[in-house]
Amino acid sequence: MDDSDEEYLSGITPSSRFSSIVPESPRSKEGVSTRTRARKSGTTDDNLKGNNGGYSWEDEYQRSWDIVKDDDQQGSFESMVQQIIENRKKKIMKNPATPFQRGIIRTLVIVIDGSNSMAEKDLRPTRLTLSLNYCIDFIIEFFDQNPISQLGIVLMRNGVAHLVSEVSGSPQYHIDKLRQLKIRQHNKFEPSGDASLQNALEMARALLKFNFGTTSNNTKNSKEVLMIYGSLFTSDPGDIHKTIQSLVKDEIKVSIIGLSAQVAICQEIVNRTNHEPKLSRSKHYGVILNESHFKELLMDFVTPLALTEKEKQEEASLNNGVPIIKMGFPSKVQPIVTSTIGNTDFTVEFPQLNASFPTQGSDESKDVVEVNTNTTLLSSTTIGYQCPQCKSRVTNLPTICPVCGLMLILSTHLARSYHHLIPLAPYKEVPIAESYDSEYCYGCQLKFPRGVKPGTHPGVLESMTSSRYRCFKCTNDFCINCDVFVHETLHNCPGCENN
Amino acid sequence: MEAISDRLFNEHTTDNLQDDPSLLTIILDVSPSGWFKIQNVISIQDVVKSLIVYLNSHLSLNNSNQVAFLITSPLKSKFLYPKLDNSNIIKDSVSKDMYRQFKIVDDIILEELNQFLNEMIDKIENNKRSTLTGAISLGLTYTNRMLTLDQSILTTTASAMTTTSLANSNQNSSNITSSSSTSMKSRMLIISANDDDDELTYIPLMNCIFAAQKMKVSIDVAKLGFKNSSYLQQASDATNGIYLHIENPKGLIQVLSTAFFIEPNLRPFIILPANSNVNYRASCFITGKAVDIGYVCSVCLCIMSKLPEKCPACNSEFDKKIIEQLNRVPQIRKKRKLESNGNGNNENNNN
Ligand SMILES: [Zn+2]
Ligand SMILES: [Zn+2]
Ligand SMILES: [Zn+2]
Ligand SMILES: [Zn+2]
Repeated sequence: MDDSDEEYLSGITPSSRFSSIVPESPRSKEGVSTRTRARKSGTTDDNLKGNNGGYSWEDEYQRSWDIVKDDDQQGSFESMVQQIIENRKKKIMKNPATPFQRGIIRTLVIVIDGSNSMAEKDLRPTRLTLSLNYCIDFIIEFFDQNPISQLGIVLMRNGVAHLVSEVSGSPQYHIDKLRQLKIRQHNKFEPSGDASLQNALEMARALLKFNFGTTSNNTKNSKEVLMIYGSLFTSDPGDIHKTIQSLVKDEIKVSIIGLSAQVAICQEIVNRTNHEPKLSRSKHYGVILNESHFKELLMDFVTPLALTEKEKQEEASLNNGVPIIKMGFPSKVQPIVTSTIGNTDFTVEFPQLNASFPTQGSDESKDVVEVNTNTTLLSSTTIGYQCPQCKSRVTNLPTICPVCGLMLILSTHLARSYHHLIPLAPYKEVPIAESYDSEYCYGCQLKFPRGVKPGTHPGVLESMTSSRYRCFKCTNDFCINCDVFVHETLHNCPGCENN
Repeated sequence: MEAISDRLFNEHTTDNLQDDPSLLTIILDVSPSGWFKIQNVISIQDVVKSLIVYLNSHLSLNNSNQVAFLITSPLKSKFLYPKLDNSNIIKDSVSKDMYRQFKIVDDIILEELNQFLNEMIDKIENNKRSTLTGAISLGLTYTNRMLTLDQSILTTTASAMTTTSLANSNQNSSNITSSSSTSMKSRMLIISANDDDDELTYIPLMNCIFAAQKMKVSIDVAKLGFKNSSYLQQASDATNGIYLHIENPKGLIQVLSTAFFIEPNLRPFIILPANSNVNYRASCFITGKAVDIGYVCSVCLCIMSKLPEKCPACNSEFDKKIIEQLNRVPQIRKKRKLESNGNGNNENNNN
């Protein structure tokens, strides 16, 4: 408690006074509360409260070792088992998302602040760590709800923009990159320097442009930037207003989540790129109040952006059903390069590129931003996917065929959401008995504990649970690990697939 | 450009080059129709011989390496190795001519395989779909256990549970990956001679692909027979695996011990034989046939090869105007220009 208070009061950096709407230092208690009062009207009071019903800075400091309950020996095992079972049920019962339109290609670039200000400990453990954790959650949710969308991640640090992960449709790829970043946040990528809005936005613009060759047909796609911004100023190499203009021209919509206080330039970026009146309060620019509010703001961006007025009218004019989209499933074409050594022709067959990580592991992944280099040009003309309708080639999926306008997509992108369509029925726990039919888990071949007479061995695992979870379709028994794995990750029942 | 563009991670793949143990899961598809067609070229016997050599060489690379062997047929899929009750085989597995681990694996697999084939001959019926997806699912659940839990085969649930509770506690923030507590690597090899893609169940296969992606399990495919399998190609392509259509399976052992022998994390450094084309065809929800141009419901994203009034999967009604446009007058919307050669459009000149 004492420690963190000292941080609070002494944490006023000279830089934080620039270009902030709130003249007070945001970390002094007064500054924060004026800001929150100003923003209160939009949200309900409950959202502003921390765990104890007060504001988060009034909460008692929670040490991680206090959360772990110090049970006496007997109860601990039982409660552990109970907890595991509870967890399992909670996970499986988690409702599949309510249906809404998933057929929109969103391309999103997440910009994370990695400047000095992110080392602040007003979010626990630090702003950066918490932001990275929330981003991982966000990515999982994002791809769950937007299966045919793509995203990329950029980090602002030392006045430049760093590419963390390229624009790609694979959640795992982004999560791995964020994990790497998290691991090294103390020895290599610790928050440092200033943030540069211009550099980051220019890089985001390049990423979004590079991945969308055509702007002619954007009814089914949107280009977005989501920025998590902890600093209170920006140090730019040029005129940021020019960057804003180009963003508007390229129809890129920027949303910002501020971690400290409202900043005028952020407000302007958001208002201009979202075509809102100047200095109006926008739902695309939020300043967080506490951890849970941060998460709430972030998760709001999972659902596709609302339609603008013009688009709404179009929608209403033909609103008599759900749109149906024609799509093509292209085949991947790999280049065959022949070279001549002596008098013999050699055919070089290139190693396979992974479809879901279009450029991972290949040469051009290293210099995807340097559009001018030869390698990029060479590879973009040779490796590609062929439109099944007009046979023209594109390098990146999903996209819209520049020649015939067919939406091109990998079938694996669509299939990502299919487990919502055909949900797997939950397994039921087998009641405790003296003996069971099954000796081994059908999925992983794990040996089950043997049955015991009820009441003979109190406190022993076998007398509290049968450890067997049965699929009622195929009547096979599974262990708790397989149960969770099958319902969480695999979405197939191995037993049912075998009948 | 350089001032604003700086990559965070340039040194990719160098971190994970340690000599970690690895799990190799082999799935052998013994669907009779496929093997019947190539009976003049190679028999199951020959293939199994090669596979056993392959397994043994994998075991000899690192003495913590693990193998699993699954068999799949239209009847069912089954683990041959590890075998649950293997006490009598282990008893007489001591031989002065052979490394013990080799002998255990070889004996169990051959014995179980013979038993399985005999069983299959009695029971097989026609018109049953392949259970390959079941075998992959089994392989993945087993892999999941090997990656996250205690690895000894006879461990009971109690000891496994302690590990799970640990895994569970940090899954709050990261429930998409099974947090791997060990540094086990894993890959899967499917040997199939089945030429009929439509026998595979599409959605379960896709689910398997995503699970494999999340677990970082590469799916390698050795396709015998006459045709490429588009779905298996997608499986290996999406999981960073190798797909090879082996037209001359007599040399199978050579292919196994070269292309398929390299650990996935070393593959970026080696130029491997590659497929020139991967066909990313999808499966129609109504007919079950593979399609390369289809209609997609924008609510649930199910794929259809023809235009129904209502979505067969989520039951939402489609916009009649759009259906009309797609059906009859493709020229009305600029982007539908070149559509005229598909799906039986008769009135092309209505501008
Ligand atoms: Zn085309
Ligand atoms: Zn199990
Ligand atoms: Zn089942
Ligand atoms: Zn539907």
